[in-house]
Amino acid sequence: MCQNCHRTHRMVRGRPRFVWLLFTALWLVFFNAPALAHKVTIFAWVEGDTVHTQSKFSGGKRVKNSTVVVYDKEGNQLLEGKTDEKGEFSFKVPKKTNLKVVLKTSMGHMAEWKISAEEITAVADVSRNSTAEVGVKAATEEAARLSTDVKASRELSVPTVVVSLRRQEVQDLIDESLDRKFAPIVNMLIDSIDRGPRVTEVIGGIGYIFGLVGVALYFANRRRKE
Amino acid sequence: MHISEGVLSPGVLIVGAGLTAAGVAVGLRKLETEEIPSVGILSAAFFVASLVHVPVGPASVHLILNGLLGLMLGWKAFPAILVGLALQALLFQFGGITTLGVNTLNMALPAVICCYLFKWGIRTGTRRLVFSLTAFACGCCAVFLGSVLVGFSLYLTGEAFLPAAKLIVAAHIPVMVIEGILTAACAVFLRRVKPELLEGAYVPKLSSYPQNGEG
Repeated sequence: MCQNCHRTHRMVRGRPRFVWLLFTALWLVFFNAPALAHKVTIFAWVEGDTVHTQSKFSGGKRVKNSTVVVYDKEGNQLLEGKTDEKGEFSFKVPKKTNLKVVLKTSMGHMAEWKISAEEITAVADVSRNSTAEVGVKAATEEAARLSTDVKASRELSVPTVVVSLRRQEVQDLIDESLDRKFAPIVNMLIDSIDRGPRVTEVIGGIGYIFGLVGVALYFANRRRKE
Repeated sequence: MHISEGVLSPGVLIVGAGLTAAGVAVGLRKLETEEIPSVGILSAAFFVASLVHVPVGPASVHLILNGLLGLMLGWKAFPAILVGLALQALLFQFGGITTLGVNTLNMALPAVICCYLFKWGIRTGTRRLVFSLTAFACGCCAVFLGSVLVGFSLYLTGEAFLPAAKLIVAAHIPVMVIEGILTAACAVFLRRVKPELLEGAYVPKLSSYPQNGEG
């Protein structure tokens, strides 16, 4: 008891504040390891005719079972879905426009990601050819092969058909392999997109607050002197 | 706890900003020169606390510390929280500038309410157990009321109140417990080393050092 009294007396005015600072610093060091906080992000990318999205709280925890709404350029709602256990949601490209993918979570958090029309048109064309017109393509291919067998010099239009088909095939192959090759990069982007607060920002913020305290004290003192 | 931009309707945003401005005005009027540093320190603590992530429960939640701020600052929690939130919005992109008013109101109003509810227990004269329990309740209640207010703000913009509020409160249960313990620990610590800081919240000009409460 006596010891306590003694300590109370001995405490200089500035010292408990130091203790405070120490507390906050300790928090920073021990709890801040993955720098987590309260924000959501959504990232969407096009692969073939599908758009994949991934939603996260900043820090990497996946946003499960939340609504994802897709709007077109004019703000009309195109479709709506729910994220799965991994925070992912995929949908087929409904239309060639600028898409806006909006994530809405239940606690007042919202995030959006825009996909530009060029990104989609390129892919949507390919996907239509590769899915809907596969039968037609195969048929024309065969016809083309036959006609080249017969004699290419007879008609001028046939070789051009062959060329365009080959081009289409090459395009498909390139797209496929690019998707495969870019997968790791896309993943890296997903990871880097929700960059949590850095130590510099945290320290900067604390510095701002102390600066404000200084300004407030300056004016208060000036008022008192007058 | 931070409501993002574009979620709330303009009416809610304006009302929130107006009420926050009123609260900040009251807080600044009550602010004495000697208290400026402690308000700043607590504002900094609030600013940093949002980085302390609580990995329990269905969603991602973090510490808020509004109970502690209310306990120590009373109405002055309004300016302290406003500054902390503004910096969080600017530097971390938590919440947003347009939602600053509503977010400040959602966190600072519970702080003030809890200050009035629990100030009777936070005195150097009260017994240690009662003292710690009221501090714990203060920390808990501030987070609880904050969650309810967030739910209410969402309700005003058209979301169903009960499901939204239930979900937010449920997500914050671990935070409530942790904040209660933290508030109690801070209060007990301050009671030992600097009791006049706690008293200052509601007995503005009490300069005597109460020593009978020790032990």
